[in-house]
Amino acid sequence: MNTAYLASLVLIVTAVYVVRLVTILPLFHTQTKVRKDTRDEASVLRTQKSSKKRLKIFVFLGSGGHTGEMLRLLQNYKDLLLNESIIYVGYSDQASRQKFCSLLQDFPRCQVQYYEFMKAREVKATLLQSVKTIIGTLVQSLVHVVRIRLSMCGSPHLFLLNGPGTCCIITLWLKIMELVLLFLDSSHIVYVESLARINTPSLTGKILYWVVDEFVVQWQELRDNCLPRSKWFGILV
Amino acid sequence: MEKKTIFVTCGATIPFPKLVSCVLSDGFCRELVEYGFVRLIIQFGTNFATEFEQLVQERRGKTEDTEISNDEFGCGGDVRRYALMDGRLEVIGFDFSTKVQKIIGDLSNLVISHAGTGSILDSLRLNKPLIVCVNDSLMDNHQQQIADKFVALGYLWSCVPSKISLTAGLRASQTEKLKPFPISHNSGFERLLSDVIYS
Repeated sequence: MNTAYLASLVLIVTAVYVVRLVTILPLFHTQTKVRKDTRDEASVLRTQKSSKKRLKIFVFLGSGGHTGEMLRLLQNYKDLLLNESIIYVGYSDQASRQKFCSLLQDFPRCQVQYYEFMKAREVKATLLQSVKTIIGTLVQSLVHVVRIRLSMCGSPHLFLLNGPGTCCIITLWLKIMELVLLFLDSSHIVYVESLARINTPSLTGKILYWVVDEFVVQWQELRDNCLPRSKWFGILV
Repeated sequence: MEKKTIFVTCGATIPFPKLVSCVLSDGFCRELVEYGFVRLIIQFGTNFATEFEQLVQERRGKTEDTEISNDEFGCGGDVRRYALMDGRLEVIGFDFSTKVQKIIGDLSNLVISHAGTGSILDSLRLNKPLIVCVNDSLMDNHQQQIADKFVALGYLWSCVPSKISLTAGLRASQTEKLKPFPISHNSGFERLLSDVIYS
């Protein structure tokens, strides 16, 4: 008797999580076409004004090139992204943090919180050390991601990511949170592939292509040849 | 810009000795002077100061004593200043600047840069003519791909780090016109972001 109960319980729980998994992975969604939208820029910003709560965005700054592109993205879409928003900044090197600081000097009404993420790999580490640092990185990033994600609940929010490897870990935790916490809303992850990627996606891109909500590339041939589900608008940085 | 200036940047992280030595070569400097350039500014990258000093000395460059404030070029280390070509070409060198965009925008008539996307965008976004020098000793070929793509679109000229190729690039920059680089703001992408955020 007990085993039958147990078995049916396991079956129900499994079914719930399978359904949940299907709903959180964009892979199973019907493709939304880039709409021929008649809304102009002003109305995009009106949508934003009509929402009373402040926008909360997370960006990750990896290193030189990736950080540069991310800062250019924020600057280019400042009316939407840097308008009195609350910005959670993940970074793994001080130079990136400093660059972000100097960009934000022009946007004093934004509120910024910094989160340092350890690098997953150190050069010349032994196997044991590597295992230690990788576990350390995973745990630390989980703590950061849970804290950030939960504070975004109920507000308009966005995770804007690009190439650094840490973005894979961040996305992994976000998706596990969505899976486990059944009533959590979507994380709203947008990934922008590096301008340097013309013919082949980066490793981070290859992995995240299957899980992020919107995957954006900057070259038409990359979309047409490799990533049909991605969207292309031209050079964005 | 009262002084016709060329700015050469190697990228901050990986030194690019071949580019620096080609730029400082007799032939290239002569060509620069012929085209009316009077100032050459070089960001040679970290850990390359001694080699740079040596290269200039080999060219019998005279060190100028006049002080330049580090602040003007946003550098951490020393700013070095020399005179080449019997004083007809002023050479200013430093390891790394945090004000690269200011140097490009306010001081430069022409930029030669390594093929990193960051450096390419710095110049193109400021509408400065750009010659990209592809570092053929790097393992990854993305720099070559991005340079080829931008050349095909007519946004810049490219060359390899050899005196002949660099000089050809310089000649092209003084005789040909580039296509304007399109602005980066895209309302389609902004709409996508907005839809995701407020969905």
